[in-house]
Amino acid sequence: MDIIEIVKGIWASSGFEALTIQQGIMLLVSFVLMFLAIKKKYEPMLLLPIAFGMMLANLPLAGLMDDPLGLMSVGEVEIVEGAHWYDTGVLRLIYAGVKSGIFPCLIFMGVGAMTDFGPLLARPVSLILGAAAQLGIYVAFAVAIALGFSPEEAAAIGIIGGADGPTAIFTASKMAPHLLAPISVAAYSYMALIPIIQPPIMKALTTKKEREIKMEQGRKVSKTEKIIFPVVVTVLCALLIPSTAPLIGMLMLGNIFRECGVVERLSDTAQNSLTNIVTILLGVTVGATANGETFLTLDTIKIIALGLMAFCFSTVGGLLLGKLLCVITKGKINPLIGSAGVSAVPMAARVSQDVGRKYNPTNFLLMHAMGPNVAGVIGSAVAAGFMMMLFGK
Amino acid sequence: MIGQTLGLLTGKALETSDVLMVCVVGIIVVIVELALIAFCITGVSKAINGLTKATKKKMKAEAPASSAPAAVAAPAQAAAPVAVAVKKDPELIDVDEKSAAIIMAIVSDESGIPLERLAFKSIKKID
Repeated sequence: MDIIEIVKGIWASSGFEALTIQQGIMLLVSFVLMFLAIKKKYEPMLLLPIAFGMMLANLPLAGLMDDPLGLMSVGEVEIVEGAHWYDTGVLRLIYAGVKSGIFPCLIFMGVGAMTDFGPLLARPVSLILGAAAQLGIYVAFAVAIALGFSPEEAAAIGIIGGADGPTAIFTASKMAPHLLAPISVAAYSYMALIPIIQPPIMKALTTKKEREIKMEQGRKVSKTEKIIFPVVVTVLCALLIPSTAPLIGMLMLGNIFRECGVVERLSDTAQNSLTNIVTILLGVTVGATANGETFLTLDTIKIIALGLMAFCFSTVGGLLLGKLLCVITKGKINPLIGSAGVSAVPMAARVSQDVGRKYNPTNFLLMHAMGPNVAGVIGSAVAAGFMMMLFGK
Repeated sequence: MIGQTLGLLTGKALETSDVLMVCVVGIIVVIVELALIAFCITGVSKAINGLTKATKKKMKAEAPASSAPAAVAAPAQAAAPVAVAVKKDPELIDVDEKSAAIIMAIVSDESGIPLERLAFKSIKKID
């Protein structure tokens, strides 16, 4: 037996031999994302699973994303004769949860169970700020069309401006599944960069006097109001735009678990264990969709740029309406809370608090900013539902 | 049913005017829907607060008229001193009462929480 032949055979059947340049680059990209998640703490809860999934899917011959029956792949797929469903790669099987929209909806239930809509109920005008801060979705949609994306792709890209990860993943999986990886990476990366993206825009669009405005404490919200709220929102949204029902319905299901006070175990599970499990599965499988062929394209760079633009315009929309409300209420509303309407709970609200505090150390905007912040979650889900109503498949 | 509402423009090429229309209608739909929710919330809040006030007024009006409530009210009266007892003065360690009062007022002002809803356990001077 020739030892050199054996070594050659081992080399030939190894991943090193099969590794393509594209896969090599994707592995490097995944390492950079892991670094950003661990060292820089950029949305680590999702960016780390996404990066690791990206790494797993780009390991040659590992077959974690194999789809021999072509059930869940996008584009041309080589169908293997006589293959069974259980021959499908383990990550591809889990990916069914993304493809079907189950995972984003379950995450939304967890988000609902974690969210206190009290500040929103105390100041219902916050909802309008949450709506205005969806401006970036439509600006990015229009620019994406101009850049040559199809309307379905442009709609999925635009939703990055909602600054809401599960919503972006949900709409991308329904309207442009081949762009799922760049859209989710862009959405989560920019959400992590909110403290860098927003403050310069906030300073540019507001005066020092406006930034110093102290807001009065909101009224106390009764438990009954908090229980009725999820029911009212679900019925209204689902009746007006039925395609919002999966996201809004699950968000409000989680919230009624939290507020009713009689299902604490369910609320606890939705907030913690279930959300953690789904986050792992969602992140890993979304990352695993990033293969070199679809990710290393000019479109990805365009999507990253459009995502940034969408975030900026959403911030602008919220701030401008905040300024308008400031004028209407004769200075009772600090326009800085408008930027929190982009969602990205609670990061965007913290940014409003930090910027406000910088100009007036006695200013506490956090609870006031939480209103538009949670309204942004509803707003982005409504905007996503509208886009799906027009361009869904 | 959902299938019937999805994809009204799927697969169709959009002119510039269509794109602008989608953007304008889209943002209006979001604002109108959220404004509608805000309107409903305000309505529900007013209705609930109105009902609560009416119930309280009714209870107040009924209380002196009836002789039985005296017995019912007893446990509530008994509970009151407990609530007062819980909110005792904070322990002052190397701090005079005047400074403690100023600190409590500042915390209340900066946090936006009324003083009667704040409970201080202790105030300690740190060198």
